[in-house]
Order: sequence, then structure tokens, then C-alpha cells
Amino acid sequence: MEKRTLIIYTLIILLGCIFAVMSGYSQEDVTTVEDSAFEKKMRPGVPFLHDQHNEQAELDECNTCHHVYEDGKLVEYDSSEGQECSECHTINKGDNPISLVNIYHLQCKGCHQEKKAGPIMCSECHPR
Amino acid sequence: MHDIYNFVSGPLVWASFIIFFAGCLYRLISMAVLARKKDVFVYEYMSFKFGLRSILHWITPFGTVKWRKNPFFTIVTFTFHICIIFIPIFLSAHIILWKESWGVSWWYISDTAADVLTIVAIASCIFFLVRRIVLPEVKYLTSISDYVILAIVAAPFITGFWTYHQWPGFRIMGILHIIAGETMLAAIPFTRLIHMIFFPFTRGYMGSEFGAVRHAKDW
Ligand code: HEC
Ligand code: HEC
Ligand code: HEC
Ligand code: HEC
Ligand code: HEM
Repeated sequence: MEKRTLIIYTLIILLGCIFAVMSGYSQEDVTTVEDSAFEKKMRPGVPFLHDQHNEQAELDECNTCHHVYEDGKLVEYDSSEGQECSECHTINKGDNPISLVNIYHLQCKGCHQEKKAGPIMCSECHPR
Repeated sequence: MHDIYNFVSGPLVWASFIIFFAGCLYRLISMAVLARKKDVFVYEYMSFKFGLRSILHWITPFGTVKWRKNPFFTIVTFTFHICIIFIPIFLSAHIILWKESWGVSWWYISDTAADVLTIVAIASCIFFLVRRIVLPEVKYLTSISDYVILAIVAAPFITGFWTYHQWPGFRIMGILHIIAGETMLAAIPFTRLIHMIFFPFTRGYMGSEFGAVRHAKDW
């Protein structure tokens, strides 16, 4: 085999591998917020391109959102990513879900209002 | 958009609620003072028993001769009033906003139910409008202000429905919706919509006078 053909083949295989890995990643990437604790959903899941959002909003600390509290105080150097918000902000089955809705709204909408950037109206976060 | 939204959903909400409560209180007090000045017997005749008896008849569908005479109008009137009280207080989106601002929440109706009630409310407004235009005896008594009041009342329903269904321009509609709701609240003390506050007193007085003085029914 010619050297040039070899390089091209290698490149193609390499690209293929990268593509496969990337697409595998993006399948796992969070693209919507859809908490499993909401039984009967009133609205479709909220589009949320996790990594892109945090990059654009310049959120470097994971625990800005995935926080951990101890004795009612925010723990600075700990985070809770991988846990759904509802694992700590629990609602019982059949309960009024408004308290869980609220912690999402306080966190998402709260920051958007503070920074005057990002969606704040129902329809902007909950497209039909 | 942030500044506009924050303004209409912050200071303007405060303003409208303060105008609503203070305005209603003012109207009630000035009416009470006026009644004492013009006709002291208003207070003499006011009777809890006869007043309540009349109010209960009038808030019961078909509980009065007038309601029975006009069955269709009666049905529309009652459903409309149920909608206008029920939707703003028990809509999930409104409750979510109460929770965000004040940490309080209560029972709410499903969004589907809200949609149905909203359509009924808008249809009722159209009915009231057509009735005003078509019936000569109603048209005769109608002034521009009646149409304005009808528009003020219909606007929150139309804009809210529009926003919820995210039809084109829904962001602007959302802002307009909030302003429309606030306009309605603030307009209550200063328009005929004050009947919402005065009804128990006017009806209660009629009931008292008919019941205790004339020994007759007023329904
Ligand atoms: C703007 C708030 C926010 C920030 C900042 C943030 N996340 Fe998330 N993250 C979320 C939300 C919301 C979800 C989806 C809901 C859930 O599963 O908890 C999520 C989900 C995840 C998940 C997926 C969990 C699953 O079940 O698939 C991982 C992993 C994660 N985040 C890691 C991180 C890491 C690592 C960082 C810091 C580099 C970070 N997040 C920063 C809001 C945030
Ligand atoms: C490991 C448990 C845990 C996880 C996971 C968690 N939280 Fe919390 N969160 C807490 C605790 C504990 C508090 C403080 C308790 C309190 O004040 O009610 C809190 C407080 C909050 C508050 C402030 C509440 C208020 O009333 O001001 C918000 C908002 C919030 N969390 C949102 C979120 C969101 C959104 C997520 C998911 C991205 C999340 N939390 C995930 C434990 C957790
Ligand atoms: C700590 C601050 C912060 C938190 C928390 C946060 N955001 Fe944001 N978000 C931003 C900022 C800042 C922007 C504007 C980024 C830009 O376009 O410059 C933004 C933009 C967005 C956008 C628009 C992105 C686009 O492509 O236009 C969406 C959607 C969004 N956020 C959803 C969410 C959701 C859902 C949550 C809660 C799970 C959330 N955000 C929590 C800061 C935050
Ligand atoms: C900044 C983004 C944002 C805004 C603005 C926002 N929400 Fe949400 N909302 C969320 C997120 C994130 C969740 C969690 C979604 C999930 O887990 O399905 C949520 C959850 C909900 C839920 C519970 C989930 C369901 O479908 O039953 C309801 C209802 C809801 N929101 C209604 C509203 C209403 C009404 C408004 C306007 C008053 C609003 N939201 C504004 C982000 C937002
Ligand atoms: C005080 C000001 C008010 C505010 C801030 C407000 C806010 C809102 C919001 C945020 C929505 C949801 C939109 C969406 O889901 O995207 C909504 C919907 C709605 N609101 Fe209001 N509102 C107000 C007053 C009123 C009043 C006074 C009425 C009626 C008399 C009303 C009737 C409705 C209706 C009918 C809907 C749509 C419901 C549906 O179709 O499911 N609102 N409102």
C-alpha cells in the first residue's frame, strides 16, 4: 500500500472514531430538563443545552446549580451533579408539585433576572 | 425585554393591587357616608336575615323571576362570572407566580380546564357584545363606557389564551396580558365593575327593605 493511501485511511478511521465518540457523548449530553418526579407533565420538557448554556453564561462552577447544603449552609467546594434536583427537593407522589416547580424557577429564572440575560417568560422556557 | 417584563410584573402589579384595594375601600366608605347623609333609614332597615335571603336568591341560578324569564342570558351570566373569578385565582400559571414571589400556593385547575373556561369566558363576552348591539332595549341603555368595560374585561382572557398557546407575537402578548390584567383590577373601583364589591350591600338593602318593611319578595 502506498504511504499516502495509508495516511488517508488512517485519517478516515481516526475521524470515524472521533465522530463515534462525540456522538456517543452528545447522546448523553443533557439537552432538556425533564425531572422524573413530575408525574403528569403539564408542559413539554425544557430545552436546555447543558454544556453550551454553561459556556455561554460563563458558569464555571458546577455547584452554582448542583449545590450541596450542610446545616442549611451552602458548601462551597462540594457539588451534587448526577443527582436530580428532586432527589433532595422531594415531593411525594400525588402531591402538589408546585414546590418542585418553584425551585427550578427560582434557580433558572432567578439567575436570568439577576443577569438580565436568558429567558424569563413561561413561553420562552416552555415552548410548545 | 427584561426591563419591560420586570416592570410590568413588579411595580405595576403592586400599583394595580394597591389601587384595587384602596379604591374599593374608598368607594365603600364614601358610599357609607353618603348613605348616612342622604337617608338615615338605610341603616335602620338593614337586616341581616332579609338581606342574606335576597342575596342567596340572586346568586342562585334561576333563583329569581328575572333569572327565570331569560334562561339563556342567566346561564351565560352565571358561567361568565364563575370564569372571571375562577380563572385568575385558580390558574396554574398564576399560582406558580404567587409561589415564586410570596412562597404561597393553593389548589389549581388543570390547564385543559382553564382553556375550556377561557373559551367560555370569551364567548360570553362576545354574547354580551352582540346583545348590546342587537337588542334595541339594551342598545338604548348602552353608552361608550359599556363597550370599554367589556373590552377591559375581555382583554386578559384573549391575551392570556394567546400567550398560553404561543401564537405569533406571544412575547408581546404576554406583556400585554399582564398589563390587561392589571388594568382590569385597577378599573374595578372606578367603573361599574364596582358592583362586585357593592352587590352584597345594594342587594342586601333591597332585600331588607322589601322583606322587613314591605313584607314582599324582591326576587
Ligand atoms: C445552570 C445550572 C447548571 C450548571 C452550572 C451545571 N449544571 Fe449540570 N445539570 C443541570 C440541570 C438542570 C441538569 C438536568 C437535571 C438533572 O438531571 O439534574 C443537569 C444535569 C447534569 C448531568 C446529567 C445527569 C444525568 O442524569 O444525566 C451531569 C453529569 C451534570 N449536570 C454535570 C455538571 C457538571 C460537571 C457541571 C460543571 C462543569 C455542571 N453540570 C454545571 C444544571 C446545571
Ligand atoms: C444534594 C441535595 C440537593 C440537590 C441535588 C439540589 N439541591 Fe437545591 N437545595 C438543597 C438544600 C439542602 C437547600 C437548602 C434548603 C432550603 O433552604 O430549603 C437547597 C436550596 C435550593 C434553593 C433555594 C431555595 C429557596 O427557597 O430559596 C433552590 C432555588 C434550589 N435549591 C434549586 C435546586 C435545583 C434547581 C437543583 C437541581 C439542579 C437542586 N437545587 C439540587 C439540596 C439540594
Ligand atoms: C447562574 C446563572 C444561570 C442559571 C442558574 C441558569 N441560567 Fe440560563 N442563562 C444564563 C445566562 C447568563 C444566559 C444568557 C447567555 C447568553 O446568551 O449570553 C442564559 C441563557 C439561557 C437560555 C437561552 C440560551 C440560548 O441559546 O439562547 C436558556 C434556554 C436557558 N438559559 C435555560 C436555563 C434553564 C432551563 C436553567 C435552569 C435549569 C438555567 N438557564 C439556569 C444564566 C443562568
Ligand atoms: C428560565 C426558564 C423557565 C421559565 C421562565 C419558566 N419555567 Fe417552568 N420550568 C422550568 C424548568 C427547568 C422546569 C423543570 C422541567 C421538568 O423537569 O420537566 C420547569 C417546570 C415547570 C412545570 C412543571 C413541569 C410540568 O410540565 O408539569 C410547570 C407547570 C411550569 N414549569 C410552568 C411554568 C410557567 C407557568 C411559567 C411562567 C409563569 C414558567 N414555567 C416559567 C423552567 C422555566
Ligand atoms: C395581575 C396580573 C396578571 C399576571 C401577571 C398574569 C400572568 C399570566 C401568565 C404568566 C400566564 C401564562 C402564560 C403562559 O402560559 O405562557 C397567564 C395566563 C392566563 N391568564 Fe393571566 N395574569 C394576570 C391577570 C389575569 C386576569 C385578571 C385574568 C382574567 C380575568 C387572567 C386570565 C388568564 C388566562 C385566561 C390565561 C390563559 C389560560 C389558558 O388558556 O390556559 N390573567 N396569565
